[in-house]
Amino acid sequence: MAYRRAGNLMPRGKECILRRFMPIFQKLPNVSNFQQVNRAGLFIGFHQCPHNHCQSVNRTLHTTTPLLVAKLLSVDEIFARRSLQDYLKKIESEYVESLKIVNSGVTEGQLEGEEELRAKRTKVSLLAPLIQCIRELEAKQKEIAETESLLKDEDPDMRELADLEREACLEDIQSLRQKILGLLIPEEEADLSDLVLEVTAGVGGQEAMLFTAEVFDMYQGFAQNQGWVFDVLEYMTSEIGGLRHASASISGTHSYKRIKFEAGVHRVQRVPKTEKQGRMHTSTMTVAVLPQPTEISFTINPKDLRIETKRASGAGGQHVNTTDSAVRIVHLPTGVVSECQQERSQLKNKEKAMKVLRAKLYSMRLEEETSKRYNARKIQIGTKGRSEKIRTYNFPQDRITDHRIGMTVHDVRGFLMGEDLLEEMNSSLQDFSNQETLMDLLGENDQEGS
Amino acid sequence: MALWKRHFEESGVTEPDHSSQYIIAHLLGAKTIESLNQEKLTEFLSHDKAQQLWDLCTRRLSRMPVQYVIGEWDFRDLTLKMRPPVFIPRPETEELVELVLADLQLRQETGVRAEAQHICLEVGCGSGAISLSLLKSLPRLRAIALDQSQDAVDLTRENALSLGLQDRLQIHHIDVIKGADTVVSLYDSISTLVSNPPYLFLEDMTSLEPEILRFEDHAALDGGKDGLTVIRQILTLAPKLLSNHGRVYLEVDPRHPPVIQQWVEEHVEELLYVETRHDITDRPRFCILQKGK
Repeated sequence: MAYRRAGNLMPRGKECILRRFMPIFQKLPNVSNFQQVNRAGLFIGFHQCPHNHCQSVNRTLHTTTPLLVAKLLSVDEIFARRSLQDYLKKIESEYVESLKIVNSGVTEGQLEGEEELRAKRTKVSLLAPLIQCIRELEAKQKEIAETESLLKDEDPDMRELADLEREACLEDIQSLRQKILGLLIPEEEADLSDLVLEVTAGVGGQEAMLFTAEVFDMYQGFAQNQGWVFDVLEYMTSEIGGLRHASASISGTHSYKRIKFEAGVHRVQRVPKTEKQGRMHTSTMTVAVLPQPTEISFTINPKDLRIETKRASGAGGQHVNTTDSAVRIVHLPTGVVSECQQERSQLKNKEKAMKVLRAKLYSMRLEEETSKRYNARKIQIGTKGRSEKIRTYNFPQDRITDHRIGMTVHDVRGFLMGEDLLEEMNSSLQDFSNQETLMDLLGENDQEGS
Repeated sequence: MALWKRHFEESGVTEPDHSSQYIIAHLLGAKTIESLNQEKLTEFLSHDKAQQLWDLCTRRLSRMPVQYVIGEWDFRDLTLKMRPPVFIPRPETEELVELVLADLQLRQETGVRAEAQHICLEVGCGSGAISLSLLKSLPRLRAIALDQSQDAVDLTRENALSLGLQDRLQIHHIDVIKGADTVVSLYDSISTLVSNPPYLFLEDMTSLEPEILRFEDHAALDGGKDGLTVIRQILTLAPKLLSNHGRVYLEVDPRHPPVIQQWVEEHVEELLYVETRHDITDRPRFCILQKGK
């Protein structure tokens, strides 16, 4: 696995990787380690995305010269920004102030006293890890300043020692910075939940349906790769083995957090199996991602539901024997419908249909809450992103391009396996989304400050 | 699939599309057509498989229920073997099990019999669906299943073995009407009595589909003139079998609940009618009663 990924990266930009990246990567003996480091601890991954830079360097490898739609900043670049420094300072002063109040137990008013105290206490405990990191960072930066003087020492051994220390310090600084950035980004309510994935064939008839089946398989592979549970809720096929519509419940750590970036319209460009004259076609399919709420956080009143089954006639029960156990649930207030005929047991079909219904309703509610926040972003999540063309799979040129961040990778077949290639692209999307969130945060801060 | 669907349609077989789909899926080793991946569906059938398909579909043409044709069906989270003439579990009965489970969980929490082990008695177990389902969901439960049909007893035993639940299940070939004395002498501290007894009205038996009329055991369906023959017997015996506060759960015909309530008030002193619950189609379907004064 690591071999294949290294193979994708190496020819494209060995030079740019070694020359333009942070010192930390110079320490790595080979590029494949880049991926491991990526996975290991620096999970927010504010790393240099090699792809962006490589596109500008190695033009001959691509038939098109894509403009950089998105730029992923490095950790250093972000830390160099005034807005970040200001923001961190602001947080520190908030912390110190809150701590003072908590420690002294004195507040302004008597009535608001209790509440305010509690609020301040919560703030302190929330900010504590972040402040810890900031303080550690400051300490490390001081350390490095001290070693600077030792580097000029006359004794070569001393210099070597200082050099090693400096390297170690730089590493620590890097990881602390990443940690800080990670802590700054608030976690979304839905990020912790599982999800329901829906795929629907779009424009392109049978070919679109075949592509939909391939994409569904890709996500099944991805789920397996990530160690998630993939439970098919609905699966409607076409005559020649394509997929009209399907949905699956995916559960596991960070499942929604990752898959949410897959929502939108995916395009395929190739000569379809059904094409007799060898012409290229463009077909589409849509992926919808619905977070799945827990029982507690989201309840549905049974009175609001109308459940429909086949057992309509007569007295039902022992009177009838049927193998049609399909269940259809209508949520009366909103008109949202969900049905399932995936299982032989009617009860199981009902449970699955309920799962999808809950996800749909929850998603609708989240929509209302978050649509304002996400309006300006490149990476759209939710209904705004639902009709956006997010990715093109071009078979003849063997490339996949994600249009939101302008990222292109190769090996369509490999990508559709839902393994490393998809994971990489997904991670990049995450990084970019995190960056947008961060910029928003700092942007807000800028406005407040001025 | 399309071919057989047409055959079924032409012969007036009910649910032709579902029939062909389930039979073919089963032949290809899956439960539903949807769960098979593309490759399997486009493969050509081997000679043996093609022959089997022919056999199975021919049986369906004789109006044999699909469940008997493929020899199995799902009930909640179990897959059970099916064999004529043993009664095929209906979807409503899945809800009966849910009801019992929810209730048992509640009773366990309120600790009426927190320490004591729950013993459940089922009258008319058929394929064993109810008892086995309860055993599967409640690891500490013990169950006793009775049926007046030897075929049912045998099938329940087979299913219990397949599911590895035989250790907690006793199965007896007893008729609760004819063998009432035996039943009463054997058990007296049952915490839960559950049954999907024959509850069809005699006059309704004639309007049944061929699938049911020709292949399923009539004794599992016929409840006598008012559909209450077996139910009355169960309720009469209940107070003797149950420990105090023990409950009875019955699946019945939608017309029964008020009749049962009245009858119990008049004839079974120790049994209290607790409530009627509805099934997924909103028909009154389940009666809950409790022993107590």
